Amino acid sequence: MREPEGMTTDPEELQEEEKDKKKRRWLLLLLMLLLLLLACVCWLAFRYARQPEPLPEMLPVDVNYPPHYLFSIYGVDRPVGVAVSPDGERIYVAETGGERLVKIFDREGNPLGSFAPPHTTPAQRSPVYLATDHLGRVFVADRLQNVVFVYDEDGVFLDAILGPELSLSEYVAEQVDGFQPEDMFVFNWFEGVYYRPASPEEELAEAAETAGPEEGARLLPIVDIAKWGPLGVRFDGEGRLLLTNTSGDHYVCVVPVEALGATPWRDFNPIPVIFGTAGQGDGQFLFPNTAVIDSQGRFFVTDGNNGRVTVWDREGNFLFYFGRGTGEGAISLPRGAYVDERDRLYVVDAVSQQVKVYDVSGEEVGFLFAFGEWGLDDGQFNYPNDIALDETGRLYIADRENSRIQVWSY
Amino acid sequence: MKKVFFVASIVLIAALLTAGLASANGGPHGGYTATTDACAGCHRAHTATGPNLLTASSTYDLCISCHGSTGSGANTNVDDGYYLSTRDDSGGDWNHGAANTPDNAPLLGGGFVNYKGAAVTSSHVPSGTVAAAWGNGVARGATANLADGNLTCASCHDPHGSNNYRIINETVNGTAVSVTQVDEGAAKDYNTEQWADSSISQFCAACHGAYHVTRAGSGTDNSDDGLGNTDYGGDISTFAHRVDMSYSYGGNSNPETVGVISGTTTYTLPLAASGTNNLVVCTTCHLPHGTSATMSGVAASNPGPAGDSALLRLDNRGVCEVCHQK
Repeated sequence: MREPEGMTTDPEELQEEEKDKKKRRWLLLLLMLLLLLLACVCWLAFRYARQPEPLPEMLPVDVNYPPHYLFSIYGVDRPVGVAVSPDGERIYVAETGGERLVKIFDREGNPLGSFAPPHTTPAQRSPVYLATDHLGRVFVADRLQNVVFVYDEDGVFLDAILGPELSLSEYVAEQVDGFQPEDMFVFNWFEGVYYRPASPEEELAEAAETAGPEEGARLLPIVDIAKWGPLGVRFDGEGRLLLTNTSGDHYVCVVPVEALGATPWRDFNPIPVIFGTAGQGDGQFLFPNTAVIDSQGRFFVTDGNNGRVTVWDREGNFLFYFGRGTGEGAISLPRGAYVDERDRLYVVDAVSQQVKVYDVSGEEVGFLFAFGEWGLDDGQFNYPNDIALDETGRLYIADRENSRIQVWSY
Repeated sequence: MKKVFFVASIVLIAALLTAGLASANGGPHGGYTATTDACAGCHRAHTATGPNLLTASSTYDLCISCHGSTGSGANTNVDDGYYLSTRDDSGGDWNHGAANTPDNAPLLGGGFVNYKGAAVTSSHVPSGTVAAAWGNGVARGATANLADGNLTCASCHDPHGSNNYRIINETVNGTAVSVTQVDEGAAKDYNTEQWADSSISQFCAACHGAYHVTRAGSGTDNSDDGLGNTDYGGDISTFAHRVDMSYSYGGNSNPETVGVISGTTTYTLPLAASGTNNLVVCTTCHLPHGTSATMSGVAASNPGPAGDSALLRLDNRGVCEVCHQK
């Protein structure tokens, strides 16, 4: 019987053919793996090209060295406050020169917009420190208006905190029958509180008799809270609002997260934790600028005119202070502060023209390093005032008299 | 090296000598002890990057770190001309101005950027870039450089404290100055004049001497040029409003309490030494820091920049009308 053409029964040839098949399968598999790898590389390259960002900082806390300068964000006039959105995609900057706006930038420093308290002139406002909460809302302390203004992520005005236990919408609701969330209300310390209902005609007719910045707005008397003048604004990991106060008395005010739900806050009744008084002794402040918290729940407060950082326990009991005097780690004029995920405390020293970094992971505080010096060039500071970090290890520093935000990274 | 050592020694001696001197409002301006650690707040002995051993080059930038619009270290906001809110100071030992100064009250000295909610129309420029002063040892209408260099905050104020009113230097532009103030006690008032006599005019005259004319009848007698040249000095062709005189004009006994009523607004001007001993001084009409008064029409036609308000307290020539009421 004749064998079909192209086929063989020779065992050696069959074995050889089987080997070839195996080899081809392996080659095919290898090719697929290489293609998969190539696809991964291409995808990563494409992703990086679309959204370049440094790798998360992976160093343990005991390996510490200063970060390096990346670039600067210009287009701001004498900035004193800086904050980063929860996703790290937006940078908010409070400026005290020019129009005195809060300006929004993306991670590359491209301008996205700006905002200010409605119906205020530049001479009537002075935004200083600001912070974002987990919802992306922006809280801005205004030193001339004596309130904390609250905006959404795009800068749309939502409400204001007029005192430790009073919000603007709550105050308006007390003054006006039938207040609705959609109604317009504006706070201007120098003029009054403007209120205009969204629709009712009788309210409009009544309000039309009063001149105001909005047609048909009613002017309500300003409310003046004793011993209230917010300056520093920060949030802790639990979502609590940490404020410093420098009017009437000098203290820290902690607003619980439960009071900071959806705006407007018509029932703003927090039970704030307040600690500290004005003075130079233990447990006292002279112009506390910012309050931040570490992983142990301790408060670290930059005690500006006392040239030190004071440390308080979770309940607001004074523990100790550091940084006063001269020598390594000494502070001249502490302003903005931040604690990163590895319990490193960053303190902006405005007069030393540096950012000083401390290890606060243990019971005692250890000085790690400082970076920056006075100057006008890249990486040099001219009265820096505030700092914010994002989760990728980037540092944003408000470089006041150089009118820029410096971006540093590890 | 010797020079650095000399300067450092002078600074140290000055700090020791000024220990215990009056402070404007607590804070870092005085109260030093022999072992104070406060020097490093602003100075570096060997690594300073600015003059006077400052940590940075600009005195103004250093001052507004606390006294700017942020109020991060002081309630006296000289940029906006406001005393920032006080909100009751019962028992506060370190916020001295609070008890007597209303919330957001305009500072008596005016502002460098804004004043009373509007941008300034004229101001002293203490940024260290302007050196010439009107009538500084020269005829009125002319300028001459300051003896101590460019104008900064420290040209007029002593950041280490002084026995002078509002920590004014005891030597300004090379001239000895001592401004007497009403005793305010511990709680200061930055919104009401506290000049006890005409010495506040001598402070202005340290740089603007040609305008310091005190002779009676100087409006019709031009023999006093304000510079001590009583025998037809450099300003033979100009007359000048007299200062350091008791106010008495027409039926208005005191512009502090009467003033001009225009519509619903009452304008007043501050005098030194209130009451029957009152005095018209330079700062009765002018704000030393800056003003937002607006000038229009003829009032805008000054020898200086167009629309310059010449540090006047009121719009146009309101300062004339308050007293003279023509």
